[in-house]
Amino acid sequence: MAMNDNFSSLRVAAVAYLNARPLYLPLAESPHHGGARPIEMQLGIPSEVARAIAEDDADVALMPVAAAATLGDLRLVRGIAIAANGPVRSVVVVSDCPFDAIEDLALDLSSRTSAVLARLIFRARRKGGEPRLVGCSSSDAIGAVGARRGALVIGDPALMIEGKFRHSLDLSEAWRDITGLPFVFAGWFGRAGVLSPDDEARFRAAKAEGLARRDEIADAYAHQANLSAESVRSYLRDSLRYDLGDDERRGLERFYEEAASARLLPKATVRFFDDDRAPRSSTPEPELDTLLSRAADGERLSAAEGGRLLNEASFFDLGLAADAIRRRKHPHNVVTYIVDRNVNYTNVCTTSCRFCAFYRPVGHPEGYVLTRDQLRSKLQEVVDAGGVQILLQGGLNPDLPLTWYEELFQWIKTEFGLGLHALSPEEILHLAQIESLSVRTILERLHAAGLDSVPGGGAEILVDRVRRKIARAKCTSDEWLGVMRTAHHMGLRSSCTMMYGTVDSGADRINHLIKLRDLQDETGGFTAFFCWDYQHEQGTHLPPGENGTFLYLKQQAVARILLDNIDHVGASWVTQGPQIGQVALRFGADDFGSVMFEENVVSSAGTTFAMNANVMEKRISEAGFRSVRRNVKYAWLSEPI
Amino acid sequence: MTFKSIEAKVDRGEPLDFADGVALFHEPDLLALGQLANRVRERLHGDKTYFNRNMRVEVTNVCVASCLFCSFAKLKDGDPGSHTMRLEEAWAKLEARMSDPPSEVHIVNGLHPGLPFSYYEDLLRGFKRIKPDVHMKCFTAVEIHFFAQHYGMDYETVLTRLQAAGLDSLPGGGAEIFHPDVRSRISDDKATADEWVEVHRVAHRMGIRTNATMLYGHIETFDHRVDHLLRLRALQAETGGMQAFIPLAFHPDGNGMKNLPAPTGIDDLRTLAVSRLMLDNIPHIKAYWVSTTPKIAQVGLRFGADDIDGTIVHETIYHAAGSTSPQGLSERELVRLIREAGRIPVERDTLYNVIREFPRSALPEAAVKVRDRKQALHLAIVN
Repeated sequence: MAMNDNFSSLRVAAVAYLNARPLYLPLAESPHHGGARPIEMQLGIPSEVARAIAEDDADVALMPVAAAATLGDLRLVRGIAIAANGPVRSVVVVSDCPFDAIEDLALDLSSRTSAVLARLIFRARRKGGEPRLVGCSSSDAIGAVGARRGALVIGDPALMIEGKFRHSLDLSEAWRDITGLPFVFAGWFGRAGVLSPDDEARFRAAKAEGLARRDEIADAYAHQANLSAESVRSYLRDSLRYDLGDDERRGLERFYEEAASARLLPKATVRFFDDDRAPRSSTPEPELDTLLSRAADGERLSAAEGGRLLNEASFFDLGLAADAIRRRKHPHNVVTYIVDRNVNYTNVCTTSCRFCAFYRPVGHPEGYVLTRDQLRSKLQEVVDAGGVQILLQGGLNPDLPLTWYEELFQWIKTEFGLGLHALSPEEILHLAQIESLSVRTILERLHAAGLDSVPGGGAEILVDRVRRKIARAKCTSDEWLGVMRTAHHMGLRSSCTMMYGTVDSGADRINHLIKLRDLQDETGGFTAFFCWDYQHEQGTHLPPGENGTFLYLKQQAVARILLDNIDHVGASWVTQGPQIGQVALRFGADDFGSVMFEENVVSSAGTTFAMNANVMEKRISEAGFRSVRRNVKYAWLSEPI
Repeated sequence: MTFKSIEAKVDRGEPLDFADGVALFHEPDLLALGQLANRVRERLHGDKTYFNRNMRVEVTNVCVASCLFCSFAKLKDGDPGSHTMRLEEAWAKLEARMSDPPSEVHIVNGLHPGLPFSYYEDLLRGFKRIKPDVHMKCFTAVEIHFFAQHYGMDYETVLTRLQAAGLDSLPGGGAEIFHPDVRSRISDDKATADEWVEVHRVAHRMGIRTNATMLYGHIETFDHRVDHLLRLRALQAETGGMQAFIPLAFHPDGNGMKNLPAPTGIDDLRTLAVSRLMLDNIPHIKAYWVSTTPKIAQVGLRFGADDIDGTIVHETIYHAAGSTSPQGLSERELVRLIREAGRIPVERDTLYNVIREFPRSALPEAAVKVRDRKQALHLAIVN
């Protein structure tokens, strides 16, 4: 393709589901159409499609309405949607007990639009409100149905199990019964200004063509998925509607309102690409002050709103909003800390991250693996100092097999009884790779050997474009999140982190936070969030990007605002120094991290601040808070002092 | 005294009183305090944030005073560690910088009993010979008072002779804490509060501008700090000769008060903010980054400070550590610190004439190196 085409091509992403085919198939089949600009089509699951818009890898995406609300400030192509007015058949709650008797609901919480719809329907239809939500993969949901446990089933599986359960509630039908309105599942979303009127006309022409070919699409799909052609034809023809008219718009607006007031989604408004071309925009940008007071009230904000706060809100306004949230979440004016020790069991590592001054390549004379004797004296000091856990992390050392870790963990548990906050996702993935075992198996075996929780290191920025530049050999964002998802589903808790200030932009950092928030919606497994900026010093090989104290405080405040579902935010005094650590307690943090005996990675890069427990308590009290020691799950170990 | 009533006074432009100042120091809501100070700062200076290119020379650390907070107290000539520069040695410091000369030479010394007064006059003349337009900001009020006593002259004569030799303005050091309950305990054998004020009064009358400081975070109370600020405000109301106020954080290492903790980041910011709010007649509040760490000084630019001092200290630390880092880097770092705080960097001369205004922001530049407070200790003490 010529360079010129690259510049002018329209990057389109779409969810690769059956119900979307009539809208995207004609575009995918003829990307070069007359004189129009060529289309680059990418197909994926909803989270991938949303990611493409978030990270500016696509201009327009056929994506679920909840994902669009999470990103925020997007426009819709007028007249086109995937909607239903009444039963849709592909989004159902099935159970063996009556709807009112469902106590648990198994569901894939990453399918956010249907999950939010289900929760709203339960709230509206039952006195008891929502059942207990049991997150699982969508393929596991059906198998999870039990005596009092229902399942939310979406997509093809829903068509396949029609009539197989005693009770089945079609959520689109329930929505219409409650609201009298259609339900909109998805539409063509993109940022303002990315589509010309000609582009929009092309989407409408594709729709017309796709609708005319519905039977053909249905038959091909039915054949491939082993479904009845008649059933699939009827699904595309009768159950689904592809128009986005006034009724659908009202239906979508109603959904956004209900979801926002239930605090399940950021408040979203329905806006069309052509609104921006109208002489006077009917929906002006909300005032920054409104946004800040919504933030301070604990409302869920979209990625776009978070980005706006980061760019436009004043230093003090961000601090005050984050402080208000911190006060509401932690009303006792208490700041926690933990007595633990960071033990870096090896510095041998194969990833060569450019921001790291700690690692040594395999075979390097300065490479080490701590011996039992070295470990024994370190751990004894922790026990003597009243420590309750160690944070055990190291390089990716190919000479250490899984059994080495299992024996180490068992030994630490037997000899010292310390909590093991150990091995970041990168290390887990490394073990899975060298042992040719699944992440789940690795985690299960480590858990059996004594692993208590997973540290959230190595997240850096969960945007692959950034990761490739700063840590080529490291896991992808999805892999990192996948390890955490697996750990959380096993009942292990973890922290999460963000190291920024290299090649990342504000938008990347916001996307990072949203990915953490999305996973937390699914699993609830994150205990706390910590962030710090890249420490550019001797031994690192990466020039600093956007970093500095000011940004650190603002960034932490924005994190406190966006991460409404994560309980704790910790101040990173190790990187920022104790003075700024104290100030950070007024920018959303409620935890002062760890009394560190040692920390090798950041200090290899030249930043060393050490503090003992007494000094820690004093620092917290000088900042105007009571202090209390905690364990890794953030439970208080005594009364605050 | 509620915060709201103080806020209302500030908005009406009324001066705050003693009770207001004490209440502000006790205000638990740090951000509300900062925001109020920031409002005054922006009213006066907008986003402008000043720095200068200066160099620092200490010709002698021999001192007859025995201040508890000072790590060099009571060095006699010939004591190990004592050092008095030959004049050529002092001048060489400027000569070495002439390829990229500073606009200001800042000299602060111990109170040396064995030097002739002409030593100081020659010192000034020599610098002016090397660079006639360099601004000589030299000798704290404590030194001027010592000269007057030691050489048997009144303040005006001392200042007149020094001025004739090239003195342009006085730095603000030696103020410590004025209140006698504190001053008698931490530095009882040098200029008293009244004498310090009188030196500045005389200087102002002669058209010599000065700065003022306060050494906080040791044995003093919030009441003592407010008292200190009010004495400065009264002097300024009388003369209008002070340009900038510089709160100096006490450092406990290696001196007679080493058992005390260093002030916290919170206290540093609070002190900047209250200073800005109390000293409504002093134009500039300086976040002296050597004393508070660059990070706190940077945040201080939102807590009332509009000046982040100069490049020189940086260079001295590098020099002490044997580093060969170019001086220009430190200026870049200062500019970056200011920009990262969302402010406009303005290079000034000693009298706050604008030399260069920088654009508001630029692409990220070299990283700001964070240095330990301890490294910067001795410079903070003698400013």
